[in-house]
Amino acid sequence: MSNLLEIEHLKKYFKSARGTVHAVDDVNLTIEAGKTVGLVGESGCGKSTLGRTIVHLQESTDGVIRFDGKDVTHLDKKQMLEFRKNAQIIFQDPYSSLDPRQTVQDIIQEPMRLLTKDSKAEIEKKSDELMDIVGIEKRLRLSYPHELDGGRRQRVGIARALALNPKFVVCDEPVSSLDVSIQAQILNLLMDLQDQLGLTYLFITHDMSVVRHISDYICVMYLGQMIEKTDKKSLFDQPLHPYTKALLSAIPTVDIDAQPERIQLKGEINSPIDPKPGCRFAKRCPYAQHCCHEPVPLTEVQPGHFVACHRVKEINQL
Amino acid sequence: MNEKKESAFFSIRDLNVQYKSGAQTVYAVNGVSFDLAAGETLGLVGETGAGKTTIAKSILRILPPHAVKKMEGQVLYEGEDIFQMNDTELRKIRGHQISMIFQDPMTALNPVKRVNEQIAEGYIQHHHCTKAEAEKRAEEMLELVGISADRAGEYPHQFSGGMKQRVVIAMALACSPRLLIADEPTTALDVTIQAQVLDLIKRLRDELGTSMILITHDLGVVAGICDQVAVIYAGRIIEYGTKADVFRHPTHPYTIGLFGALPDLKKDVERLSPIEGLPPDPTEQIEGCAFYPRCERRCEKCKSYRYEPTRLSDTHTILCCNPAGEGEEK
Repeated sequence: MSNLLEIEHLKKYFKSARGTVHAVDDVNLTIEAGKTVGLVGESGCGKSTLGRTIVHLQESTDGVIRFDGKDVTHLDKKQMLEFRKNAQIIFQDPYSSLDPRQTVQDIIQEPMRLLTKDSKAEIEKKSDELMDIVGIEKRLRLSYPHELDGGRRQRVGIARALALNPKFVVCDEPVSSLDVSIQAQILNLLMDLQDQLGLTYLFITHDMSVVRHISDYICVMYLGQMIEKTDKKSLFDQPLHPYTKALLSAIPTVDIDAQPERIQLKGEINSPIDPKPGCRFAKRCPYAQHCCHEPVPLTEVQPGHFVACHRVKEINQL
Repeated sequence: MNEKKESAFFSIRDLNVQYKSGAQTVYAVNGVSFDLAAGETLGLVGETGAGKTTIAKSILRILPPHAVKKMEGQVLYEGEDIFQMNDTELRKIRGHQISMIFQDPMTALNPVKRVNEQIAEGYIQHHHCTKAEAEKRAEEMLELVGISADRAGEYPHQFSGGMKQRVVIAMALACSPRLLIADEPTTALDVTIQAQVLDLIKRLRDELGTSMILITHDLGVVAGICDQVAVIYAGRIIEYGTKADVFRHPTHPYTIGLFGALPDLKKDVERLSPIEGLPPDPTEQIEGCAFYPRCERRCEKCKSYRYEPTRLSDTHTILCCNPAGEGEEK
């Protein structure tokens, strides 16, 4: 399979009064066509910024983004519209990501009105099909977002993202604001759509069980950097980075007989403003030593398993 | 839904709460009863709108009066009915005997007041002590929740989310309450911070011997911390039992559905089994079982179901007229 998306040394910095926020700092990532890459990490680790930078909702500070073999790092207006047909995003919050003054059908049709030359009748037909695909009753065509529940609103957001037949969709925490019973409906829908339409997903979430369910590969981010990257099975069977281990051990489980041995992390995530060189997790890491103040690249520790940790071999006795 | 235990130090009897919403009535809580023994932790689990927070807020009578249409039932604290108390009596209980941790630490704290003043506020009220004594208590409390006393004079915005929630916990525990109501105390936090805060709540509960009602939508959190579990759907406790009852032998179809809808951390599941449909509209009064339209085991009986509890064991009760029997496929 070929790579649909390739990112090299991508950086996104924001200026703030207190310094430069290194939201995404030198990230490499490839996504194969038709696969799902899960991107996990805690709030403020840069996962949403990475997703938004890839689909050009924000311009990158440095680095290269290649989509379908073409360099799309810098696009003029015309190229941007062309790119948007192929790369779409589903947002976290179905309350604020839909225009409250547009009807369901207007919202779904808007991308087609703006970016295709289809006739009104064709667009209407397509939007009805989309409503079918994502499971919104047609009687709701003329409803406004506030009249819908969270699950249905998220379905509208999904239909809008699919309106232009994109190849690639960034799903930015699409189920975090939904209740479990509804969350399961939306996850099933996203997986069905991937099968039917051959979509490629970058799935951003903070929920490890959701990411395990939906992803083929998983990347773990910490303070703007990728710290572990591998296929789903290796990550859950044998997490190698101390942060990933702690993250997995912190998840509350419903298995009352096998409550996890918690790896307690000290303190909280540091500031992403002008970070010092060296491992950004060192301050909270139970294994941190002097060497951890040196910069640490993401290296292939086992075939296909990349980790950014100076002491990874020692800690895991590899 | 279980019979009155003699030793229960806290019980709720047939709580009904309705809100006004324009011309409509919202049936938020529809006959909830439970008992809590001293030192025990009860988990109230349910989805958005199930009525969890309404139950918690009615215990302390802090629901907005203009929105409440009806609030009936009994909330018995050591045999005294909180609903019958006058304001003076109520203030002696509120924040002193029973206190609450709110979900969102960002809005539960006053942004223009230093955290030590906020922690001390309730302590001064209830202990009639000097400001200096109360602020000393505030510093002790901050140390107890793992925040250095040096930071006592700072404002909420100077703390991170996890630390703000620790301040809220310190505030709730300053008067050593006998019952702590924690309303989604970790929902706004990241998992590693959630783990820290849950461990802290657990440790303090055990050290201080506090009873607790923990409200959450996260079955995993319940599994880690609770003794008893009440599953709420459409304003009713539809399954009640010990943690082992509910997690090993979930019996109400809704509870079974909730477990089925969770993605598993350890097993690969091809497809999740969501509960189809949506929770009922709380402005409608439903004939029969409220879960009927979404239930996989629905039958004719359910349409006229009157919510007679089915006792599965001494500790385990459900509200369902057609549960799967022993050995039957659930």
